[in-house]
Amino acid sequence: MQAKKILELREISKNFGKMSALSSLSFSIKKGETVALVGPSGAGKTTLLNILANTVKPDKGSLLIDGIPSYKYTTGKQLSRKIGIIRQQFDLVGQLPVIHNVLAGRLGEWGFFKSLLSLILPQDKELAIKSLDRVGIPNKIYEKTSNLSGGEQQRVALARLLVQNPEIILADEPVSSLDPSRAEDILSMLIKLVKEENQTLIASLHSVEYAKRFFTRIIGLREGKICFDLPVEKITDADLFTLYNLEELK
Amino acid sequence: MRDLRHSIDLHKRTFLTLGLILVFFWSLLSVEWGTNLFHSGGGVTILQIAYGFFHPDLSPEILNLAITSSWTTLTYAVAGMTIAILIAFVFGIMASGVISAGKMTTLFSMSFFRGLLGFMRAIHELIWAWLFVAAIGLSPFAAILALAIPYGGTLGRIFADIINDVPKEPIEALKSSGASKLQALFYGYLPLAMGDMISYAMYRFECAIRSSAIMSFVGLGGLGYQIHLSLADLEYDEVWTFMFFLIGLVVIIDLWSNLLRKRLVE
Amino acid sequence: MKWKFDFIRFSFLMIFILIIASWMFIINVEKADFFNLFSNKNIFHAKKFLRDLTGIGNKNPAFKDVEAWKNALQLTYKTLVMSIMAIGFAAIGMIITVIPAARNAADSTLTMSNKWYNWILFGVIRCLYIFSRAVPELIWAMIIVFIFKPGILPGAIALALHNFGILGKLCAEVVEDLDLKPIRNLSSSGASTGQILIYGVLPMVTPKFITFILYRWEVIIRTTIVVGFVGAGGLGQQFKLSMSWFHYTEVALLLICYILLVILADLLSEGLRRVFQ
Repeated sequence: MQAKKILELREISKNFGKMSALSSLSFSIKKGETVALVGPSGAGKTTLLNILANTVKPDKGSLLIDGIPSYKYTTGKQLSRKIGIIRQQFDLVGQLPVIHNVLAGRLGEWGFFKSLLSLILPQDKELAIKSLDRVGIPNKIYEKTSNLSGGEQQRVALARLLVQNPEIILADEPVSSLDPSRAEDILSMLIKLVKEENQTLIASLHSVEYAKRFFTRIIGLREGKICFDLPVEKITDADLFTLYNLEELK
Repeated sequence: MRDLRHSIDLHKRTFLTLGLILVFFWSLLSVEWGTNLFHSGGGVTILQIAYGFFHPDLSPEILNLAITSSWTTLTYAVAGMTIAILIAFVFGIMASGVISAGKMTTLFSMSFFRGLLGFMRAIHELIWAWLFVAAIGLSPFAAILALAIPYGGTLGRIFADIINDVPKEPIEALKSSGASKLQALFYGYLPLAMGDMISYAMYRFECAIRSSAIMSFVGLGGLGYQIHLSLADLEYDEVWTFMFFLIGLVVIIDLWSNLLRKRLVE
Repeated sequence: MKWKFDFIRFSFLMIFILIIASWMFIINVEKADFFNLFSNKNIFHAKKFLRDLTGIGNKNPAFKDVEAWKNALQLTYKTLVMSIMAIGFAAIGMIITVIPAARNAADSTLTMSNKWYNWILFGVIRCLYIFSRAVPELIWAMIIVFIFKPGILPGAIALALHNFGILGKLCAEVVEDLDLKPIRNLSSSGASTGQILIYGVLPMVTPKFITFILYRWEVIIRTTIVVGFVGAGGLGQQFKLSMSWFHYTEVALLLICYILLVILADLLSEGLRRVFQ
């Protein structure tokens, strides 16, 4: 059975001034795939994710999100049903208690007054409790978010994604600010949750090790071009060598 | 129980914020609201004042007067600040406790001078002015000292904090090479603290202009005095001319000190 | 690089010239004589004033009078109420205007809503801030007593007008220094402008806003006595009256109450700020 294409890029290019960040990228991602973006820093991973997230407009080319051109998603509400984002700095509102940061995933569904009311009397509290339970920190619900450790904050960010429940999750270096054991916990949890919800995951990663262990497909980016795009079992050491050591070969 | 404690923790600030808002509403209760609050001609006066805002008196005599008054206001602010900085410099060093020997003397010098600085700035400059005028009569020095004392208090406190906050490593290095406390002050603390101290003094300079303007109340000429006179004569167009000069003076000093502070911190 | 160097040198030179010129002006034109300060006549006056203040040789100084204490405490209470009202008005004004007055709201990085009038609103409010804070409280009070009858309300309004500009400037800078990443993250979970405000901006700025509001309240407490001079009620009005009747022990009593109030306010505000940090 052929799964549908949830993301499709056609000849995407992006320049910053004279610097070319991405040049003519084309590939597509099917529903349910877990894709790792790897490559040296400055290869354009973050730019690519920002374009997929529809926060940066490409200079050339087009992007289809679930078959619909990206520019047709005009409101944050429509987009937030399709795409959720998680970043390395967690980007939570530190002064709010955990529960409100988790429930912020519902803001796209709620009207203004419901969200205002929720700050006093949390709405959909069950949902928040269930999500926090699934990410393994059920007892932190009323704690001030900035008092949590880095790993716990990343779990809160995951719980928010669970509440938001988008079809595609974009993760920008989701574990690079955590120590290795925490990083593995968070990654395996992310993969598990994505599988359970039948979501699609695209993550940029520093570590090829993690990419090989947790993901099904790896895209190697270098200087804004695709260096390789292979299922994880077909990646060879030679591919990785070319990705990171092109300079020395010259 | 734990849940209760958590939710109290969580809402502690919310309750306090609500408490502060309630205190404000309670304060409103002490006013008898109604038209009785206004002078019978209040509405007309507002219109006249508003008219004056758009039609300030720009005749040569008034402009001339405004310029000389601005100068007076500026000179008193500068004079007050020079003395304030001298006071703050000496008292601030004493209050930081870096040059006193022995634990007890340090503690004494710190608490005594911090207390003194606190007392100096607790009383508003205009009150100091009244007291000085009552004691030594109408003299330019009454106004200058009245400015210098509270400003010296504020600056001194901040100077002491800045000196206490300098990085400890260079000081330790100096001391280990045999520098005395006084040498450590002049070769360590002061060079390290000078940028911040000048920057803060410049910041207070803008406030000093405003304070100098209101010294008219104790007979000092200047913009405040002219505003006072024009108000008494109900010449609102003149009032606004002087107001605009005051605002201009404050804005210029503010811009200048901002620019200088940015350069000094870099 | 070179210009920066020159600017600092130029500024110090200007400061130096200003100081010299100011003192020359004050000594030569205004005829200030420093040594005359210590003339016998002045010393006599100062001594007498101090004696009068402390009530030495006075048969019934105000400190011993229960009525005078009652009156002074009542005025202290009124002054306190005036200061609370003033900071309340100033804070309300600030909260209404602060978001459009922040640069990052005007260029739409904060709220993600790009309206043509953003920059106009920004400019108008910033000018209002400058205007209101450049004019001292006392001068605002002088104008306002022409409109309102004497009482604590005109005093509170005058204090609020001046502090509105100061609070506005301070708090707009807080908004400008906000970490924008959580806000962008909220917007990517589908939050609207209003929702970003209550879930992102508000919780992040509130602790700092309250710190600034309490700090300005301390300053206002010190200044309430001054607006009283022009008939805006409270301790200041009585201070001026007692001063002009030469009831110096009463003046001293009022000063004691005033200093106690200032110290009390400082302690209270410090305690509150600690809770909010």
